[in-house]
Parts: sequence; structure tokens; C-alpha cells
Amino acid sequence: MRRVSVDIGGTFTDCFLAFDEHYVESKALTTHHNLAAGFMEALEKACDDLGKPVREVLSSVDAVRYGTTLGTNSLIQRTGPRVGLLTTAGFESAVPLMRARGYGDGLSDMAQTDIPGADRPLPLVPISLIVGIAERIDYKGESVLSVDEENVRRQVRKLVDQGAQAFVVSLINAVVNPSHEKEVERIILSEYPTHVLGAIPIVLSHRVAGRKAEYSRTMSAVLDAYLHDQMYHGMSSLEIVLRQNGYTRPMLLVHNTSGMAQLNSTHALQTIHSGPVAGLEASNYISAQFKEPNIIATDMGGTSFDIGLVTADGVKFYDFNPVIDRWLVSTPMTYLHTLGAGGGSIARYDRLWEAIEVGPDSAGSDPGPACYGRGGKLPTTTDANLVLGYLDQDNYAGGTIKISKRRAERAIEEYICKPSGMSLIEAAKAIKRKVDSNMAAAIFKEVAVKGYNPKRFIILSYGGGGPIHACGYASAIGISRVLIPPFSSVFSALGAGNMNALHIHEKSLYLMLYDATMRKMLEEFTVFNATVEELEERGRDDLARQGVNLADIKTRVELDMRYGNQLAQISVTSPLSRLASMHDVITLLDRFSVNYAQRFGEGSQAPEAGVRINVIRVVSYVEHQRLDLQRSTKSGGKAPEARAERECWFPELQEPRMTRVYDLDAVADGMEIQGPALIETPRTTYLVEPGWHLTMGLSGSAWLVKN
Amino acid sequence: MGGDQEKSIIEKFLEENVLFLGPDPEIMEDHSVVPTTAREQAALDKFSDSGQINLVRHKLQTACNESFDMVEQMGAAPGAKWGDLISGVWTANGDLALASMGGVLIFSVLTQHPVKFILKYWKDDPTVGLKDGDIFMHNDARYGNIHNTDQSLVIPVFHNGEFICFTGAIVHEGENGAIEPGGMPSAAESPFDEGLKMSPIKVGENFEFKRDIMTFLQNSVREPKLQLEGMKSKFFAAMRMKARVEEAIAEYGVDAVIATLRKTLTDTETEVRRRLRAWPDGKIRTNCFADGTLRENCLIRIRCELDKRDDELIIDFRGSSPEFLNRPNNTVLASLKGMLAQEFLSFVWPDLPRNQAVFAPMTVITDRRSALHSSPDAPNAQSMMTFFPGFTAIQIGVPKYLYSSSHRATDIIAGWYNMIVTFLYGGVNQYGELVGNVCADLNGMGGAARSNRDGEHSLAPIFAPMADIGEQELIEEEIPLMKIVPHRLMKDAEGFGKFRGGHGYQQIATMKDSSMWGFMCCSVGSKFPTTYGIFGGYAPGTLPLCKVKGVNIFETMKDHRDLLRFTIPEIMNERPFPGGKYTTHHMGLQLEFAKPGELYMITQGGGGGYGDVLERDPETVSKDYLDELISMRSVRNVYHVVLDEKSGAVDRAATEAARKAEREVRKRRGKPYREFVKEWETAAPPREVPFYGSWKDKALIYRGSPDDSCPADAIVPVMMPNPKDVRIAQLESELEALRAARK
Repeated sequence: MRRVSVDIGGTFTDCFLAFDEHYVESKALTTHHNLAAGFMEALEKACDDLGKPVREVLSSVDAVRYGTTLGTNSLIQRTGPRVGLLTTAGFESAVPLMRARGYGDGLSDMAQTDIPGADRPLPLVPISLIVGIAERIDYKGESVLSVDEENVRRQVRKLVDQGAQAFVVSLINAVVNPSHEKEVERIILSEYPTHVLGAIPIVLSHRVAGRKAEYSRTMSAVLDAYLHDQMYHGMSSLEIVLRQNGYTRPMLLVHNTSGMAQLNSTHALQTIHSGPVAGLEASNYISAQFKEPNIIATDMGGTSFDIGLVTADGVKFYDFNPVIDRWLVSTPMTYLHTLGAGGGSIARYDRLWEAIEVGPDSAGSDPGPACYGRGGKLPTTTDANLVLGYLDQDNYAGGTIKISKRRAERAIEEYICKPSGMSLIEAAKAIKRKVDSNMAAAIFKEVAVKGYNPKRFIILSYGGGGPIHACGYASAIGISRVLIPPFSSVFSALGAGNMNALHIHEKSLYLMLYDATMRKMLEEFTVFNATVEELEERGRDDLARQGVNLADIKTRVELDMRYGNQLAQISVTSPLSRLASMHDVITLLDRFSVNYAQRFGEGSQAPEAGVRINVIRVVSYVEHQRLDLQRSTKSGGKAPEARAERECWFPELQEPRMTRVYDLDAVADGMEIQGPALIETPRTTYLVEPGWHLTMGLSGSAWLVKN
Repeated sequence: MGGDQEKSIIEKFLEENVLFLGPDPEIMEDHSVVPTTAREQAALDKFSDSGQINLVRHKLQTACNESFDMVEQMGAAPGAKWGDLISGVWTANGDLALASMGGVLIFSVLTQHPVKFILKYWKDDPTVGLKDGDIFMHNDARYGNIHNTDQSLVIPVFHNGEFICFTGAIVHEGENGAIEPGGMPSAAESPFDEGLKMSPIKVGENFEFKRDIMTFLQNSVREPKLQLEGMKSKFFAAMRMKARVEEAIAEYGVDAVIATLRKTLTDTETEVRRRLRAWPDGKIRTNCFADGTLRENCLIRIRCELDKRDDELIIDFRGSSPEFLNRPNNTVLASLKGMLAQEFLSFVWPDLPRNQAVFAPMTVITDRRSALHSSPDAPNAQSMMTFFPGFTAIQIGVPKYLYSSSHRATDIIAGWYNMIVTFLYGGVNQYGELVGNVCADLNGMGGAARSNRDGEHSLAPIFAPMADIGEQELIEEEIPLMKIVPHRLMKDAEGFGKFRGGHGYQQIATMKDSSMWGFMCCSVGSKFPTTYGIFGGYAPGTLPLCKVKGVNIFETMKDHRDLLRFTIPEIMNERPFPGGKYTTHHMGLQLEFAKPGELYMITQGGGGGYGDVLERDPETVSKDYLDELISMRSVRNVYHVVLDEKSGAVDRAATEAARKAEREVRKRRGKPYREFVKEWETAAPPREVPFYGSWKDKALIYRGSPDDSCPADAIVPVMMPNPKDVRIAQLESELEALRAARK
């Protein structure tokens, strides 16, 4: 296998290169002005390590895969085009009002509760760029008010006069009957045909999101239109650079649905958060390779802490309404919970509880923790870690960032010790304990709310800040095994290298499997079967467009089901792709019942209130060859000589402990190190807390196990 | 037999011969936190490290949030789906110590009462008892609640036989079998018209609902499916939270949990007192009015006097309107306190934890049998119609303290819009099911202007953060209520000011695909505003319910699209549909059956303004004009800004001149305060407006006429005539007059 996978993050561009049996990782700083520069730098480093020129590598790899967390940047910086929205007359305020609660989407719990201080974000589509079209389709898909061509032309011109550079057409109930959206598209195209230079891109909502709910679907389409041009040009220029360097195949983009596709089969919206999702996909793979069926994947960076789940029963967790920046959208994104906790999280003394609180406010990387000396004065998690001795003042991040212990001490003394009366060390310990507790509570809720017992899971810890806190938050949950995966510092890039070509298509419908009022089971299967067939066909078309062999295409049917009129829509993987008998209906009901009980408790099911399918989703994919990551079989090896030792403090111990410090490179596969110990790499530090030991694995992987 | 002995015998007889255990004033009128018990003190002695307690609290808080998510996901009521609920943990004394971060915070102070009833009357009653596996429910507001549409469920948590706490949830469930569907009957004339009346009752044992009771409850409401799903969702959420409490006990010990719950309450109260101390001492008086009972127009006074003394705030509502014995707009005192607590939890100190200790330092004084302290004989399904204005009365007073306070946790604001302008509905849906409930759009109340910027449009209800107005596609998939216009910002619906309040939205609804469908709505303020501006800012305008009967909008859509209009002003002013009957009303609509295509139209109100309109930046006036938020009339006559009608370009010099001229007009109009009072003040309320409440003397309460009053300490409840009888009498009198004229 020859494959290049790249994950472009906010700070670093990570590269993972698989070249036959060689696996190479590399990093470069992300070059925001021209992503291709950082991309090529990382690739050049990897090729150097491999000992081959870039051109030779690129001309022989079967794929370049690309994931990024960067889609949100243009949202935050508002650098997108002026998007004009055509919506059903009467619905013009849906976007400005953001379902009322939208003011708090994307904010912390604390910010959400502050109603007087609430401000909606600066709109992506201002009121002046929203117009109503006199048309209406009802819930069944019947047109009760047809589209009037003259009315559309008038409204379109109004938007053009206002300076619209892209159109979004989002009409009510378009997912049940898209004919009006298509009609509006036809009229716009007749007014502004694609072959002229002034052509304006048009996004129809039903093509971006397949489920009902007009606000979130409209926002999906708006984001798509907003990001489309920038992403297209960014990706295209990247592709051009690759071609100049010998690459001839289409570039593959990682999707936030845990799949990937070519540029011509990718919506801009599908690329958002695809980097972290790729990390979770890598966790899935580790689960299989390491035979660890239940994994909590945790990725701790400078400002955020991502939590994902891999379970033995193979349930796929989606976030059907993820929040992108501050916008609620509708797309079946692989579920990841992001907590505002990282090395930059700010600690404070809370006089109400007479205790330390940490986050969600963050100093980020600019100004960053107080110890960075970049103007940050407030104490952060990183400052506490430095005071406790876990970080090396003289060689932090491989010496690339200069940090000052004195500044960290001063910040903690000023903002924690003074108001609380704690000593410096007590305060730093309290910060560490609170950070671990916050992360543990978030993990616990995420796992428990889905009906699983967190204690039956292992923790997978990656990202720059994870391995220093992993023992702490694992202990707080009651988990005794932590795996730092191979290539953990480029884990998302590794995940990108392991994905399948995959497309998801879904459709809202109102299908009663059991009608409680009439006491009747579903007897007519045409709607179900026809919908699955339609969605399979769309998936097949997507994959066929990318040149895959039709015989290789596999599909998975998923159903969002509910009891009565609940809000909950539990995603159930259907064992059947077609219904043919009442027995099949019972099979679906049973499958739903099992999933529901798993999540909310046995006995909580309420089939007597009726059972409904709300959404049918078809996942179409082609399996690609996977990387070969092996679990180490060695253990019990003697620890190497420590490079140094220094005094470290631990929350549960009164006195400091002399702690041995090792270089990762010196710790070979199978070696065991008892805690307390520190294993340093240029990108992170593994903290082995007292009462834990570390066993080194292959490719930088390691097990942290409670004694 | 001596006097004492005789007294004791009589007391014993009375105690043993209680007809039934009605609402207990001792429980219902006390909102203080129960003092620390010996058991709690023992726990605190063993587990006192505040850092450790913080970790346990965080764990339990996470559990509250987890169970909140569960109820929201599993519940079927619109209220549950859109966040109209809370879940929490109550101490063994019945105090709510921890509650979910989201949801309706009024419940934070209200839920203690039924729990305390269980502890006082059922715990040691051999026929009821309190044991592991029991499930208790309650919905009657007279035992503690907002109104009977809310249902609460609690379960006890035991550890080695020791009762530790309750866990549970309370949800606005909607339909409850009342005289009108949907759970909030404005037509109720007595508590017996208000549907289910569960006093705190054991509905299950051994972690299972009793089938006979479940059946009874389902049989008592129009939506048995909803009742079932509501009960299950609350129970399983309570069970999940119980498991979390048990895990915390296993990890930290039972004393840790008991100490944490107690210390959470104590610390919260201490913090609130500390914050109150930062306010200047003094009195602030405000007045608010409800302009009807939902059945008739009248003026209902809510008189409020805030008195801040050191670390205590006394809220005195004496002199407010009397109780209405046959109208549901009365408030149980506990409900009022719940709503007042909301001001502090959401609008003054949103950073505080959600528990009842937040309100402990406040004292509320009312007249018994007033509309804000109603008796168990009076219906209360629409208590919001008096306690929302009660809330506003303190909301517009508090900024005056905050202005001089050294500590502020959020922005200073004018009056938030405070009415639940939405449709309630009842009937048969497109799938043949009988349904009745309320739409979630009530959650889009207009935000108040702030001291440094405009208010946000339709942001949140006054009783919950992060509440949702829903998605129309999902609503019309389940019920035949089709919105032609779901939420469209209404021009000029703002409180004008230097900083304007946020707008509300208009809604135009109709019915499609039902054999029987009715609309209701329940708000006051269509003639006199219910919320106000501060420091010179205006109150938002008043807006009526509008109807067009005798039309079928779907036929118009099919055959006469040129007649279609998509705003209420256009429809009501232009009257485009031939044959339609166009009417306006106050917003108290009792169940009215609609034909397909008939139009029902209402408008959510805006927030109050802040500061003088003449100080508003003309450029922001121009922007609002271009965004069609304000009319040219408001630009010219309210803001006195001169701008180009087409481009919105502001003529700065002309604006300055216009504003200068207006200031001169103001000066000419102005007069000394004493002169104004002399001219304005009357000895008694006007005869032409039915007025309820005190006029000058708070000890004398008027009952709708200057000739009808009673002392405040012996209020005579008001009985209102049936509006239909009033109308019949009016028509008969007109008929009589016509007949007389013909003779």
C-alpha cells in the first residue's frame, strides 16, 4: 500500500505516509495563507525520512487523502461570499431568529444561561438578503401554492441588486417534494445561466440535507454556499500543486461522516470537523486491531477536548444536528463531544463554593498560558502542570516554545492563592484535580447517557495534552487502562489513511411500523422499499462517479426510530434492506427495543404508544485496504536508564516525589516503567502517575495501567 | 374539665378527623431552606473539604444534566421536547439542592412543596409510606406547581436502609383532561375545570408503575399516549439519577453526598446574601397591569414595593388585585415566588447554581385571597396572567439597585416581553388521534434593551434559557396546524429607546386535514402593555388576536394567488379576501373550532426600550428601517431621524434639527411634577374601566368599580359574569331599544 494522508489543523499540518511496509509520520506548521505550502513541507519531511524524493512518492501512491478542521475559519472570519436566501414567503425570519435558542448554540453552558447578555452571532445572511417566494408544499408533499415564475424572477433580481454572490433556495417541506426548489433553480438558471461569467452558484436545501426541519436545513445550505468557493479554490490549488509534483489521481477528501470522496462528490459542509472525525475513525481501527471492543477516544489539545465512542455492539453514533461555529445544521455527522478544556483552560477561584474552577474560558495559544510569556496573565492548566513539575521548562515542545515557571507560579499565586489562602502547590494540585474531574465527568456523561458503563471501556488518549492527564481522568472515572495509540501525534492523519470511500443519503418520512391508535402493524411495504432503493441508487451514483467498481459497493440501512411523538430518534442499523413480511416488521421493532433499552434502561420502551420510522439512511461504501498496525506482544522489559529526574507533586500525595524522566526514543517495545515517571517527546509528555505503570508498544504506542 | 384539657381534646379530635389532606399552608407559604439537621451536621463534620465537595457536586450536577437530556429525548410533550422541564436532586428534607442547568427555572423554587408534603404526610403513614422502589407523582398547583399541566415525579434514594434524598423531574406535559384541551384552560371557572388534580400520590412500587393508577391517569386525559410516555420518561430519568447518586455514595461515601447537598444550599444562600449586601439599601416602587382575565377586558393592578435592607430583599405586593373566583388567572403564592426567583436566576445572577436557596433571602408579602395569593377555591390554570406581570414588576425595579451595585453578573436590562403568545390547540390530527397541547412558539419572547446595546429579537421566554421555538416542518407533520407565516418579525413591535427592545414575531395559522380542530390562545396585553421600558425607554406596542373567518386560504392559493398577503397588517388593513369576516380580539381565546383555511393571527411582543429615543444613533435607526423592522412613521415621529426613504441615507444636519425641535416641544409640554399630579390624580379609579386592586391606599381594594371595594385584610373574591351573558344582555337591551324606537 502506498498512501499519503494529511490532516491540516489550526497549528500543525500532520502527515502520515504509508509506503509499502514503511510508515512515516511528520509535522509542519500550518500555512494559513497557502495551505499547500505547509502540506508540501510536511510531505517533504516524511519523504526525507523515507529517503525518497517527493515526486517519486507522489507519482507512485494510490491516493492522497486530506482531512481538515479548517472549514470553520472562514465562518469565524466572515470571509465568505454574500449569500442570498430564497425561502417560502412567511418564513423569512427563520434564519435571523435561529429558533430562539440559537443565541447559545456553540457557547458554554454558562454563557447559554446568561439571557440578558445573550447576543446572536453576526449573521451569515443579513435580513436584507432574504426574500420570500410565494409557494407552499404541505407536510405530505402536496403543492398547495405553486411557484410563480414572475414572483421568483422579481425576488432574485432583488437579491442580485443587494449584491448576492451565491443563492440558497430553501423551501418548506422540500425534502418531501423538491419540485418547487428545482423549479426555482430552473428560473434562476434561465436568468443567470452557468456558461456566463457572472454565473451565481445555487444551493438547493434538499440536496444538502435530507431531513425535515427548515431552520437547520437552511443553515446547512447556507454554510455550504458560504464555504463552497473558498474550499473549492483551496482544494483545487492543493490538487494543482500535487499534480505539479507528479500526482495524477484525484485527491480524496475526508468527510465528517467517517468516509471520504473525491472533490467532485463533496459538499463543503461534509468537510467540517473531518480531522477529529478521522481521529475517531482511527480509534475504530485500533479497536479492531488491538482487540479492544470498547474504547473511549479522547483528544486533548490546547483549547478543546474531544470525546468519541467505539463500542462492541458497533452502534454508530451520529450528531444529526451538529453546531458548526455558532450554527445549528442538519447533517449526519459522526458524533464527537467537544469540551472547552485544554492546556489553555483558565483556572479561577470560585468564592461561592470556596473551590477551584477550570474553564471553559481559555487563553488558547494567544496569549496562551501565563508561562508562555506572551501577555497571558491568568493561570491555566499548563501553568499548573509546569508548577507540579510535569513539564520541562528548558525543553518544552522540543524546545520550540520557551516557558517560564516563575510566570506560572506568579499567576497561580495572584489569582488562586491570594483569594483562597491556598499554598502554591495546593492550588496547582487543585487545578490538576479539577481538570481531570471535569474531563472525567464529561466522559462519564457521554458514555452513560448512551446507556454504556464507562468502567467497561479503555481510554484511548491522543493529542498534545492527553497523555499528561490520562491517568488522572481515567482514575476519576474508575478506568484502569489507557492506551496511547501508535503515531498518536498524527492520529487524525492516520485515521484519514484508513477510511473507506463512503456516502450517506437519508430521507425524512412518516412511517408507522405500529399505529397505536388503530392498533395496526405496517402492512404496505412499498414506501419503505422504494425509499431504500432510491437512497441506494443515489449512493451508487456518487461512488460510480468516482470510478469505483459497482460490484464492490456495499450498503448499510439505518433507521431513525421513535416511540409515539418523542423527540428521541434512535439510530438503528437495520438487519434488512427490504421489508417483505410482518415478520420483518417485528424484527425491526425488536431491534429498536433492544437499542432503546440499552440507552434509557430496560422497561423504558413504550411500543404501546406506537412506533415510527422518521428517517431512512443508506450508507454506501467501498472498502479500501487498511493499514497494518499491530499490537505489541512484548511486555516485562526492563526500563532504560532515566535521562534525568525531577521533583513532581501529585494531587493525592502530600509530599513531592522524585520522578524519573525518559526520552520516548529510549523506551523500547515491551519495556515497563513504574510511576511516577515522565516520558518526553518533542510533541507531548506521557505522565505515569504513582500507582500506574507504563508498558511501551510499537510505533510510540504505550499502555498506562493502574497497578 | 379544665380549659386546657378541653382544648387539647378538641385539637386531638380535629387532628384525627381531617376530611382530606388539602394543600398545607405551612408547607405552601414557606420557601425557606430547612435548617441543617443533626444528620446533615454529622455528615458535614466528617466531610468538609470544599474542594472534595466541589467534585461530588460536579458529579451530581452532571447527573442532573444527563437526566434532563433523557427526559427531553424520551418525552412526547412539546414542552419536554423544547426544554420546558427540569430534573434535580432534593435533600431528605425536601429542599431542591441541585437542578439541571437548562430548563424552566421557576421549578427550582416550586418543587419543594409536594416533596415536603410527601415527607410530612405520607412518609410515616402506614397506608402510604416511603420505601425503596416507590414512585410519587403530583400535578395540582395548589400543592406546589405552576399549573396543573406540569407533572412532577420523584423517587426516594436509600442507602443501607437510610433515606438519603429524592431524585426526579418535572415537565410541562400539556394535555391534562381539563375543560379545554392542552392543559391550560382559560375557560376554567373553578379548580374542577382544570383537569387532573394529583395531590402528591404514590403511583408505583418496587420500581414499577401500578397499572391501575396508570390506567386511571390515562383515562383522565385526552392523550393517553402522552401520559404514558411522560410518566416513563420522568421515571427512567429519575432512575438514572438515582444510580448516579448511588455511584457517588460508593465512591465518596454517604456522608459526602449528604454534606454536598446541604453545603450547596447553605453556600448558595450565603452568596446571595453577600450579593444583596452590595446593593444600596432603599425602596423602589413599581406598578404593572394585566389588561384582562382572558375572558373579558379589565385592568388588574399588580402593585409592588421592593425594600432592600442589608442582605434581605422584601417584595411587597400588597394592594394588588383581588382573587377572581371564577377565572383561572389567579396565582398560588408559591407559584409567584417561583416566577420571582426566575428574575434572580436568569436576569440578575445567571451564574448562580439552580436551587431553591437562591430565593431564601427574599421575603414576599401579599394580601391573602389576592390574585397573587389565591385560595384553593380559585382556579389557577392561567396563573401566568398575573405572575408574569408580577415578575415584570420586580424586573423593572431591580435595575435601579444594580445601577449602584459594585457587583453585576450580567447586563442591566429593561422589561423583557412576558407573555406566552402562541396557539394552544385541540382536536383530531391528520392520523385520527385526539390531541391537545400548546405550540412551542411561546418561547420566542422579545429581548429587552440593554444599558449599552439593543435587545435581541424573540430570544427566550422569561422562564428558561435555551428554549426552542421549534421547526414548523416537524410540527405540521404531527398536527394539522399549518402556519402560513410561522415566525416573521413584526414591523414596529419593539420598545423604542436609545437602545431598542428586540422584536417579536407574527404568526398566521390555519388548519388543514382535520375533521375537528380548535384554536385557543392565552395572553394579556392587547390593550395595555404588560412590560415596560426603563430610564426613558418605551414599552412595546400592544397587539391583538386577529381572525379571518369565512375564507379558505387554500382555495385562494389555488385560484386567486394575487390576493395572498403574508403579514397581519396587510391582511387586516387591505382585507383582500372577498367574503371573509375580519375581526380583532384580546388574546384570550377559548377553544374555537376552525374550518380548513380560516386564519388565526397573533403577534409575539417585543422587549422594552432603554433610554431616550432622541439619543438613538441615527445610523441604527436607518439600519432597522432598511431591515423593515421599523416604519418611516417611527423613523420620523418616534426617533425624529431624517433619512432617504429609498437608500436609508441619514441626513445628519436635518436629524439634529428635528431632534432639537422635538426637545423644544417636550419642554413646552412639560410641567412641574406637583402640577402634573394635581391634574392627573383622582380619588378613585375610573368608572368606565373595570379596575381591580388598590388605588391610592393599599389597604383598600377595588373590585371593578369605584363603588365596590373591600379591605385588603378581608378581600372578597371577585365573581365575573359570563361574557356570553353580558353580550346577550347587551344585545337584548339593543333589541329592546330598537323595538321601543319602532313603537
